[in-house]
Amino acid sequence: MPLRDTGRRLRLRRTGRVPADARVRHYDELDDDEQDVVRELAGDPRTAPETGDLDDGDVVKFTDYYRIRAR
Amino acid sequence: MSDSYVIIGDGIAGASAAETLREEAPDAEITVLTDEGESLYNRILIKEYAKGKLPEAPISIHQEDWYDDHDVDLRLNTVVVDIDVDADAVRTHEGETFEYDSLLLAVGGTPQQLPVENADADGIHHFWTFQDARNIKESVEGAENGVIVGAGLLGIDFAAICGAQDVEAKYLMRGDNWWRYALSEEGAEIMHEAMRERGVEPVFDSGVDHFEVDDDGHVEAAVDPNGERYECDFAGVAIGLNFNTELVEDTPLELDDGIVVDEFMRTNVDNVYAAGDITTFNDLILGERGKNGSWGSAKEQGTIAARNMVEYGSEAFEWVSSYSITHFDFPFLSFGHPTIGDDSVEATTGENEWRRVALKDGKVVGGVLIGDLSPQSAFKQLMREGRDVSGQTDLLMEPDFSVDDLAATTEQ
Repeated sequence: MPLRDTGRRLRLRRTGRVPADARVRHYDELDDDEQDVVRELAGDPRTAPETGDLDDGDVVKFTDYYRIRAR
Repeated sequence: MSDSYVIIGDGIAGASAAETLREEAPDAEITVLTDEGESLYNRILIKEYAKGKLPEAPISIHQEDWYDDHDVDLRLNTVVVDIDVDADAVRTHEGETFEYDSLLLAVGGTPQQLPVENADADGIHHFWTFQDARNIKESVEGAENGVIVGAGLLGIDFAAICGAQDVEAKYLMRGDNWWRYALSEEGAEIMHEAMRERGVEPVFDSGVDHFEVDDDGHVEAAVDPNGERYECDFAGVAIGLNFNTELVEDTPLELDDGIVVDEFMRTNVDNVYAAGDITTFNDLILGERGKNGSWGSAKEQGTIAARNMVEYGSEAFEWVSSYSITHFDFPFLSFGHPTIGDDSVEATTGENEWRRVALKDGKVVGGVLIGDLSPQSAFKQLMREGRDVSGQTDLLMEPDFSVDDLAATTEQ
C-alpha cells in the first residue's frame, strides 16, 4: 500500500465503545505497513506518519479496540 | 457477446473475485451464488460480535446495493446442486441453470462435528458463519458453565467468548497443551494463563467421550475419556473443517484434501477455478502443495483467480499468510506453516514474550510469535526470499532481529 503524502499524522486511542457506523477492521486485515503502525502506536501516546488506508475515525481491533485520529 | 462468470460462494474469496472481475472485465456478466442468507460480512470480526464487544452493523462489508452498483447478480439462499463441466453450467436447488464461460468455486468448508453421542444436542455450537455467531451469542449470554473442545486457533475463540461473557468454562484438550503442533509447553503456558485469568480452565489429556443431555435434549454435561464429568449448558466445538467438495465429486476436478489448483488458481478443467479455504494450491514459496484458511490468503486467492479467469497466466499466487489472536492483553501471531518443518528454534524473549520459528531444509517455513510481533515482517521476508538461515538460527531469537543481521546467503 503506497504511503499517502497528506502530511497528517496518526494516533491511536483506546476506545471502549464502537459506533455502529464506524469502519472497523481487524489487525489481520491490514497490510504489513499498517500493522507496523498499529503495533507501534497501540497503547502509546506517540504519533506516526499516515500510512496505507488507515483513516481518521477508523477503529482497529488489536489487543484492544483503538480509534484512529489523523490530524 | 460479453464473457459470463459464475462464482459459487460470497465469502471473502468469492467477493474479492467479483470485485476484481468487474474491474478487469467491465462488460462481463457476473453472477454470485451463495447458500447464505446475507451478503459478504467480515468473518474475522464475528467472534467480536459473539463476545458482545461489537454491534452487527460494522461487520457487514457489502450491502446488497453494492452488487447492484457493480452490476453483479447476487443470488442469496441459493444452493448449487450440480456442476456440469462439459456443458459449462451449474444447476441450483430450485432448478435454475446458470451457464458460464468461467466458473469460480469459493465454497469453503463446514465445521466438523465430534463423532460422539449427543454431539448435535441443543447448546452445542460450531462457529463458522455470522448466523452461528448470533446463535452462540444468544446461547452463551444465558449460560453459566461452558465446555470447549478443539485446542487450536478456532477453539480459542470459544474460550475468549466464554471469558468475555462471564461463563466459567473448561477447555478440554487431548494433549498436554494448547495447539501442541505449533507450540511447546513453554509457549502454550502463556496462552493457558491468559485463559485462566478469564475464567477458562484448560484440562489436559482430556477430550469428549460423549455429551449428556437433559429431558429437553439440551446439553448438560461433557464426559471425557477418563470418565470425568464436566457440567455445561453451553459447549463450543472447533475441531476442524470438512471442505465442501461433495459438489464436485462427480466431476473430473482433481481433489486432494480440497480442490487442487495451480498457482494461477486454475483446476485441471481449463475454465474452472477455485479460491479460498477449499483449495489445495501449488505453494510457490513452500515448493509443494499447500492449504491455507486465513482471511488474507482467501482474499488474495480470489483476486488472483479473477485476474487469471480474464487472462490465464497473468499473475501467480505467492503469499505468506498470518493469523493473529487479539483476545488477550498481549498479541499472538502465527505465520506461514508453523506446524511443518524438520527443525525449529524457540526462545522466551521477555515476560509473556515467546517465539518459535519452524525450519525446513534450513529455510524458514513458519512460526509463532507471542507478545512481541515486531519480527513478523522480517520472518515473512525470509520466507518470501527463501533465505537459507542454516547455522544462524540463533539470530532469529534475538529480540531486535533484523534480516540485515544475517550473513549474506544465496537466495533461492
